Amino acid sequence: MLPLEGIRVADFTWVWAGPYAAMVLATFGAEVIKIEGHKRPDMIRRGVTGWRVRDDPTAIEVTAIPSTGFHALNMSKKSVTLDMAMPEGRELARRLAAMSDVVMDNMRPGAMAALGLGYEDLRKLRPDIIVLSSSSHGQKGPYSRYEGFATIHQSIGGQSYLTGYPDDGPSPGPNDTDIMNATTTAFIIMAAIYHRQQTGEGQFIDFSQCEGVTSLIGEAVLGYQMNGVIPERMGNAHPKYAPHNLYRCWGVDRWIAIEVHSDEEFAILARAMGKPELASDPRFATMEARKKNEAELDRIIEDWTRWRSLERLEDELRQAGLRVAMCQDYRDLYADPHLRARGAFVTIDAPVMGKLELVGVPWKMSDCQPVFRPAPILGEHNDYVLRELLGLSQTEIEELRRKEVIL
Amino acid sequence: MSKSILSGVKVVEFATMVSGPYCGKLLGDLGADVIKVEPPGGDPARECGPFPATGPDKEQSALFLYVNTSKRGVALDVEKPEGLEVLRRLIKWADVLIDNHPPRYLENLGLSWKEVSSLNPGLVYTSITPYGRTGPRANEEGDELTLIHSGGIGYLLPTRAEDITRPPVKMGGYAVGYYGGLAAAVATMAALLGRQKSGKGQLIDISLQEVVLAHVRGIAGARYHGVPWNRVPAVPPAMGRMKTSDGYILIAPVENHQWKAFVELMGNPEWASGPEWDSMFYRGQHMFEIAPQIQGWVLQQRKQDLYHQGAGKGIPMGPINTVKDVLESPQYAARGYFVEVEHPKAGKYKYPGWPYQMSATPPRVSSPAPLLGQHNREVLCSVLNYSEEEYRHLQQLGAIKPVTDERR
Repeated sequence: MLPLEGIRVADFTWVWAGPYAAMVLATFGAEVIKIEGHKRPDMIRRGVTGWRVRDDPTAIEVTAIPSTGFHALNMSKKSVTLDMAMPEGRELARRLAAMSDVVMDNMRPGAMAALGLGYEDLRKLRPDIIVLSSSSHGQKGPYSRYEGFATIHQSIGGQSYLTGYPDDGPSPGPNDTDIMNATTTAFIIMAAIYHRQQTGEGQFIDFSQCEGVTSLIGEAVLGYQMNGVIPERMGNAHPKYAPHNLYRCWGVDRWIAIEVHSDEEFAILARAMGKPELASDPRFATMEARKKNEAELDRIIEDWTRWRSLERLEDELRQAGLRVAMCQDYRDLYADPHLRARGAFVTIDAPVMGKLELVGVPWKMSDCQPVFRPAPILGEHNDYVLRELLGLSQTEIEELRRKEVIL
Repeated sequence: MSKSILSGVKVVEFATMVSGPYCGKLLGDLGADVIKVEPPGGDPARECGPFPATGPDKEQSALFLYVNTSKRGVALDVEKPEGLEVLRRLIKWADVLIDNHPPRYLENLGLSWKEVSSLNPGLVYTSITPYGRTGPRANEEGDELTLIHSGGIGYLLPTRAEDITRPPVKMGGYAVGYYGGLAAAVATMAALLGRQKSGKGQLIDISLQEVVLAHVRGIAGARYHGVPWNRVPAVPPAMGRMKTSDGYILIAPVENHQWKAFVELMGNPEWASGPEWDSMFYRGQHMFEIAPQIQGWVLQQRKQDLYHQGAGKGIPMGPINTVKDVLESPQYAARGYFVEVEHPKAGKYKYPGWPYQMSATPPRVSSPAPLLGQHNREVLCSVLNYSEEEYRHLQQLGAIKPVTDERR
């Protein structure tokens, strides 16, 4: 039996961070019902942002069929359409929320309350409900109305400043912050479910995505208070270890990462390079000396790596017992024999597009096989939700469809 | 106030550096009883700093202090049979074991998954390793640099490189460790929920490489739809990161109404006034042509002021904050995000709190990071019921680290 079987989640989130959090709950067996307005569905369903329509990038085509990106973030969910601009839509949403254990949203602060779906409204319908609202800055405070997305949160939270070349500007990441915040969200929702199982008590969780970033640079935040030094970008360098960098290999944009943590490891590297004398060279014999002469050492190493094939070099140095890795692009990742052997990718049979190989979830559990189904077509489960869960008759459903409350 | 969520949940953390300890902190700050097992020389995070201006000190490493709140600590030599026996008894006592040693480490000590689960059938064993416990690379080592690049984030950094001949970079800090700790906490929480139903524990196998991969879910777009996948942008950089008079800011007025608001904010300059700029598609293809003018204007602004003006008008933007900026954030202050923690050796600092404010069960730091071996006696004598005599014997053997300044 899956850990979240029997838990129903009403998922009012969209784009990246919210949907992936709800997807994680679905892979653990929760029944996650994604609520979208069919006139304004999740923008990741759209071609350009979700990667589907290539021929005309100007057409922000809204389609019911999930795009590849939409699958990557919404697998294993059910879909219902409700036009929340209409009172009937809001009423049905309230009824659905009241039948759910968890309600999640990532709308701007106050938006759910304005729809009559705020925590205070919902707890009257269901006292033990768990509601999580995720936003850029949290529900309250002077910045709470400022909106943002992954790279903005990463920058405000302090991570972007620390990433990049030391002689160039800071770098936000490739939307990894949304996945990180989603992971944090899934964790705290499950903790709240655990609490409810123990005590019967529900609660409201106010989640700030900027704070989610700052919680992962705690040592920098404390360090500045200790010594007054603002930490700067270090490229691939480490405060103590050397060599610790990426080195060019043969070909176009091919790089090997090598990190050496001890003199013994450096001796192994020196032998592999056919220059065992480097290990006793006073410039490089100790970690302190290597760190001091790092630029020179990096040049020597790269003069060696640049004439070698990345794959073979990685193999050779790995077998010698060193911490090395290819800097993998998306083709390398899909082809990575280790990732494939571990089943890091999952294959779904997507409507229209057919078989798609997507990234799964990053945990393997001996007694919990994660659920992976294609993301739902827009409104795919309207009948199930309206008839079976909410008990509406066929006539009522047709009336809603006629009024365009549902698709 | 209700009691803590995880009060009564017993955790043994046999882990060093960031990933395992951050998982332990997440559980500890929610009320779990976390006992951290360190080697006699201490967790290497104690050597990492940053440190106060007075220099390195095992009890004052910012990294260690931050990721080890709300735990008790024992310093144990598990390579001595008596020390190993203490670990074995702790595992028997625990609900959760967090371990980020190489897959074979505990196995070679006679504590494989099979053995620990027969010792304690309800045990949730959270194992965090560089490449996971199975597969051709199961026994290889890896750390921040190698894992961020083997998992896929690294190849895309820095995100607006202008020179393909410069190598990709890692993320700053300990991103892989933290991301790994979060993933481990999710799976551990799921296993605790599963245990409520089944009464059984389970083995969780976290590969840090896969954790990094999980953060680049968009690779499917590259494979199936040819979406560009490179740190060098497909078109010359126009917006995004810009330099201000006092640092950097991220500006992204992508949609038409946002662009219009941004042009207004700049004072409707001549060079952005043509009707062609009203088209999002046109801007996407041509905006780098007016990037120098935009940069010229932004360079005269201060990052926080520009943020308030722009974000107030609904333009997506955000200052690229330093830790100093973060500490001075009025928003964080208003939410009470930072929590003051006083440590007996390091003193009092503001620690980052949690991005989740919970109405019923607020997380809290129940204690500062433990001194090395601080709770040796308490854990052995009160938790594991060793006698005073046995405890002293273990100290003499060197199985547990004698704490020189141990009180009592």
